Amino acid sequence: METETRKTDATPEPDPLAARLADGDPSAPGALVERHYMELYRYAYAVLREERAAEDAVQDAFERAFGALGRYPEGRLRAMRLRPWMYTITLNVARNRLRQRREVPVEEISVVESAASDEGREGVMDALDALGRLPERQRVAVTLRYLQDLPYAEISGVTGWPEGTAKTLVRRGLMRLRKMMVVEDTRGDQR
Amino acid sequence: MNEPSVERPIALLRETAARVAPAREPAVLMDEVLAATTDPFFAAESPLGTVYVAAGPEGVRFLEPAASEEEFASRYRERFGRFVSPAGGAEVADLAEKVAAALAGERVEVPLDLSRATPFQRRVLGVVKGIARGEVRPYVWVASEAGAPGASRAVGNVMANNPVPLLVPCHRVVRNDGRTGSYAFGAGEKVRLLRLEGVEPEEISGSPYVATPTTGIVCHATCRNAKRIQPHNRRAFRSMRAAVEAGFRPCEVCRPVAAA
Repeated sequence: METETRKTDATPEPDPLAARLADGDPSAPGALVERHYMELYRYAYAVLREERAAEDAVQDAFERAFGALGRYPEGRLRAMRLRPWMYTITLNVARNRLRQRREVPVEEISVVESAASDEGREGVMDALDALGRLPERQRVAVTLRYLQDLPYAEISGVTGWPEGTAKTLVRRGLMRLRKMMVVEDTRGDQR
Repeated sequence: MNEPSVERPIALLRETAARVAPAREPAVLMDEVLAATTDPFFAAESPLGTVYVAAGPEGVRFLEPAASEEEFASRYRERFGRFVSPAGGAEVADLAEKVAAALAGERVEVPLDLSRATPFQRRVLGVVKGIARGEVRPYVWVASEAGAPGASRAVGNVMANNPVPLLVPCHRVVRNDGRTGSYAFGAGEKVRLLRLEGVEPEEISGSPYVATPTTGIVCHATCRNAKRIQPHNRRAFRSMRAAVEAGFRPCEVCRPVAAA
């Protein structure tokens, strides 16, 4: 990810939870986990599509996050925009795990995937499959915008892309998804 | 940009988002994350007033009097680079019970987590941990027992940064001449703590060693053997060198050593 080229923060809204962490409020770490666990789980699941792997990825992301935050000077901690930052870490962790998994023989992967595609989850898996077939940048943009419901300012914070770029990627990704669905519909009609 | 053609994928994604949930109870998962990322802490009453205690995987890692939880949490983060969160589990409750008993003066073994200390610091803290209530030892003795004779100053530094005061009773380490010396929480507090434990600092100051001609042995003034010496046999010494020059040999229980 182009974290190096990230443009300066467009909306430097202070995060009250960052201030609580900086002030040493001992309930702040628990509040951070509670505030983001479910959305980060959903995000990791969209990438990894396996429950246990998604749990592990989110735990790993929080471990990295608290490991870094614990060593930040108070002023830097106070200025953190935690939500996009947590997404960046989770995306990196999930991506690394996906890469590792691809190095595993194909048979093992198919076991994982068939285990995950229980009845009732098919709709979910179809949608995530379709997402998975998008080019990477479009997939990330669409996932953040419509699966995770992030505003464009935060998508920009997560990815480092200017908001305009994120909007374009989302639009292209949605168009492509739409086309995939049309193809699926046609196939269904032929059956 | 939500033209009709893309409304279907958007609706599908939103519906999908609502249906993705972990297989296990989210509260359990969140507790697991918190347990892996933060260290539990609790408050305890002590002779220094209310102290806060944080635990690492092996036991107590940090103990300090603080005006508030926030102050303690900030100090812990500065020192260990980690966050604390309120203690929950049964394991920590058991540790808290032991700490409370030890701080009340009971003889309880409290597991310590000194994994962040250097080997030298660990040796020094281990030696000091063994100084019994009601007794004091000079820096020079601690250095010798820790396998670094002559390193009194280094021992002083370890005492000044003791992460677990009271549990490792650094207030029982005094200057080589028997004066109580400094303390992280104030020299006056050190004197007060020692008095609470039955030590009279004035009696040791200037005469930290006591010998008796009946056995020819010299002890630290607070050694249990020294306490048994009859008043008319008591010979006080300012230094071990003076006692040795007078013909006394060191007690095998308290092992006094001459300053370098």
